[in-house]
Amino acid sequence: MPLLSLIIFLPLAGAVLLIFFPRDRKGLLYGFALALTLVVFAASLLLYFRFDPAAAGPQLVEKTAWLGYGIQYHVGVDGISLFLVLLTTFLLPIVLLSSWSYIRDRIKEYLIFMLLLETGILGVFLSLNLFLFYVFWEAALIPMYFLIGIWGGKRRVYATMKFVLFTMAGSLLMLAAIFTLSSLFFKATGTYSLNVFDQARMVLNPRLQTWLFLAFGLAFAIKVPMFPFHTWLPDAHVEAPTGGSILLAAVLLKMGSYGFLRFAIPLFPDAVERFLPALSILCLIGIIYGGLMALVQKDVKSLVAYSSVSHMGLIMLAVFSLNVEGTTGAIYQMLNHGLSTGALFLAVGILYERAHTRLIKDFGGVSKIMPVFSAFFLVAVLSSAGLPGLNGFIGEITCLYGVFAANKIYAVLAVMTVILGAAYLLWMFQMVMQGPVTNEKIRAFPDMSLREIACFAPIVVLMFWMGIAPRTFTGKMDATVTAYVQKLKGRERVFVQKAVPPPAGFRLDAQERLPR
Amino acid sequence: MSDAAALVPLLVVVGGAILILLLEAFWRPVDKTPLAALALLVAAGAGAACARLWGVGASAFGGMLRLDDAAIVFTVIFLAAVAFTVLIAWKYLPRQNADCGEFYALLLLALSGLMVMVSSPNLIVVVLGLEILSVSSYALTGLKRDDDRASEAAIKYFLMGGFASAFLIFGLALLYGAAQSLDIRAVAATFAGPDGGSLLGLAGLVLVIIGFGFKIALVPFHMWTPDVYQGAPTPVTAFFAVGPKAAGFAVLFRLVAPVGDQAFRSAKIHAVLGILAGLTMLVASLTALRQRNVKRLLAYSSIANAGYLLVAVLAGDGVGLMFFLAVYLFMSFGAFAALAAMSRRGEEFHDLDDFAGIGAKYPWLGALFAIFLISLAGFPPLGGFLAKYYIFSAAVQKGLTPLVLVGLLASLISAYYYLRVVVFMYMREPVRDVEIDVDVPALYLVLFLCLYGVLQLGLFPGRILIVLKRALASLIM
Repeated sequence: MPLLSLIIFLPLAGAVLLIFFPRDRKGLLYGFALALTLVVFAASLLLYFRFDPAAAGPQLVEKTAWLGYGIQYHVGVDGISLFLVLLTTFLLPIVLLSSWSYIRDRIKEYLIFMLLLETGILGVFLSLNLFLFYVFWEAALIPMYFLIGIWGGKRRVYATMKFVLFTMAGSLLMLAAIFTLSSLFFKATGTYSLNVFDQARMVLNPRLQTWLFLAFGLAFAIKVPMFPFHTWLPDAHVEAPTGGSILLAAVLLKMGSYGFLRFAIPLFPDAVERFLPALSILCLIGIIYGGLMALVQKDVKSLVAYSSVSHMGLIMLAVFSLNVEGTTGAIYQMLNHGLSTGALFLAVGILYERAHTRLIKDFGGVSKIMPVFSAFFLVAVLSSAGLPGLNGFIGEITCLYGVFAANKIYAVLAVMTVILGAAYLLWMFQMVMQGPVTNEKIRAFPDMSLREIACFAPIVVLMFWMGIAPRTFTGKMDATVTAYVQKLKGRERVFVQKAVPPPAGFRLDAQERLPR
Repeated sequence: MSDAAALVPLLVVVGGAILILLLEAFWRPVDKTPLAALALLVAAGAGAACARLWGVGASAFGGMLRLDDAAIVFTVIFLAAVAFTVLIAWKYLPRQNADCGEFYALLLLALSGLMVMVSSPNLIVVVLGLEILSVSSYALTGLKRDDDRASEAAIKYFLMGGFASAFLIFGLALLYGAAQSLDIRAVAATFAGPDGGSLLGLAGLVLVIIGFGFKIALVPFHMWTPDVYQGAPTPVTAFFAVGPKAAGFAVLFRLVAPVGDQAFRSAKIHAVLGILAGLTMLVASLTALRQRNVKRLLAYSSIANAGYLLVAVLAGDGVGLMFFLAVYLFMSFGAFAALAAMSRRGEEFHDLDDFAGIGAKYPWLGALFAIFLISLAGFPPLGGFLAKYYIFSAAVQKGLTPLVLVGLLASLISAYYYLRVVVFMYMREPVRDVEIDVDVPALYLVLFLCLYGVLQLGLFPGRILIVLKRALASLIM
């Protein structure tokens, strides 16, 4: 059974079927979509059990010819992508369930776009062909464009256009780089291939690598987002509906960091090494800047959005440490950030549905009125702040360990993410949840409904699980990550053999060859 | 095959046109449906006659008219374009008070011009085809006789077309002087040599490129396009955006692609065309940003697409060119069909504000229009993306990376203006009451056929690529 194709395209099939559903039967629409995403989640659990932790390469590979010129339908899962797939399929039912009362009109379209988005995201994580990856990467943009643009807040049109144009600006440059890679591979070998592993075997001249890395890196850096390309993120997060924010923060941002791990770093290792100081400094700026910005936000949702900038900075710093601990930590922290930020957005959504405001000053003493919610929210906050026993701690400590091994000064500065994180999160929690009830409207808030608990509880369970028994997860990553780092360290280094002719623009006359 | 076989498709089309004219003159049907049906039948008949010649080929008049595989591919594109035009016009024309039977006759005559253009190896015959096409086009533009805008468009088109023809024919005279022949291959061969052709030939080629530049609307020869596209009846606009452009590029490709870019003079030709392509993509996209009329916006989009096609010509990527044209046929007709649907008796809604809230009010129309716009913007997995991918990928391989970067920048800009229409359809509250006629089955047939085309070509173009490769082989042979 082609398990991966099933996982990728089941949501798409569901979206197509949904077109023919009656639009006013809310229960039927939600029931169908929810059941479908649960089936996809079950299928991806199967993936987890079938996954062989000892194998480093991609597993469950499916490969067929598609469009010629090296464009193949080529999917496979390895230790890097496995949990990102699981995270996506795990969050989708939760997102749908959380939208039940928030999305009032055009439910059918909402569900269709959500399912299309799931297909796009899963395709991104599972593609092993550059073209296929690009197709899913861009295709995932369109549903998000509609999700923010139709169901978003007041400035939704501005936010969604900014989101699309920023992402597209990066990805079009990446497309140019893909053209170049394809053409170089053809010149070097006489055959076409866009297979990422074939491409990684090509040793490119460093000057060319620099250009290509910049093109790929920009696309991913915008998506992550790394400072200074982060400006779309607060807008998009704040304007998106709760479900969109959750997916955006928890999964879509990971497409960027995943892109670095899967494509930008293995394909252009020399260029990465060259840019390592600059990239790390950008990450550090992102960590500190994001944290400071989060401290001064008046709106809970934009506070969480800026906390994403800060946390993603740490993840990227760990990615750029280029060692086993750092990479493992980065992947683990991607999952943690997905869960904790997803939970925080969920909590903000729950508050917003009751208060119709997200300003911190409008709240106070909510925990007296909503004790159950308060407990869940606290776990989410502590998970995000990295309390030992919860998932965030394991991720952050592994990340910092990896960063420390790579560069001690970076590690010292990167600890700021933990300090600032604790500061803005606990401060926000204190202002919103504790103290006296400042606003009489709060007294009328009902506590969490069963549906909301059903959304939140699985995330909290997983937070504890990941905090107490991380081997369940890292055990499946080790082989892939070790092989990834070894390949990076043990690669053949090339140097420019002789003086290059004066640069006539961006020429493709570099010496490229394939090692045995 | 014999002379007759090569002539059959053309005879069917011209015969059909004359029959329609006669019927209109003597029978004067009040309801023009039979004439539309007849036009469809003629297109189908010509298509069948062409399909019979696939892989065989035929020529007539001592080789002056040669129906090879490439000509057949282009003819099929034209036939599809005409069929779509007829289907869109079926209900549209009576509702817009432009219901005359001559429309169908003129359309078929324009079709015959297009067919002559792509199936002759001789430039004089090509010009004959072009003139047949042009004269019919002028009349088609001014079909709404009481409409000032339409009359203005027709006059403008006529004057500009006249200019263009003058450039073209003068250029041909010079080319003849240089090559002693007007056979496309002989002409191209004079530029292929190590010295890159004579100065006389170069001047002639430049004039010919200017002439075609007008016809296919390359910047800076595009000034007439937005006015004509806006003034002409929507089905005619749809036809203009695809038919003449495809034919013009077919000729340009055969003329320019063999010209090498190594020798001094021929390299200049490439440089000039490269600049034209870059300008066309950028200027059209930037101007489109400011349009508030969707029809005019689509006119600029059609100009920008001519720029992408020129990149394909420069890259020598014949398969990419034909594939782009095939995809463009579906995207463009889809978009214009949706535009034609935005109308009711005596009234058309083409302002951006008219589109506010359409997505919720008319879900099918909104969704389909959005899909065509997204395909035009070049998002995968729709056809528009793959078409651009093939062209740009071939161009990078040829070392045209700067041009590709310009093209990608233009794509980014175009994403903004295409998506802005989508923004209005889905994300804005309606500002005025727009009631459109939805009882137009033929129009929806076009929309769904185009949807099918955009998806099929975007996801599984396999066999079509093989067909196009064979067609290209017949062109180069």
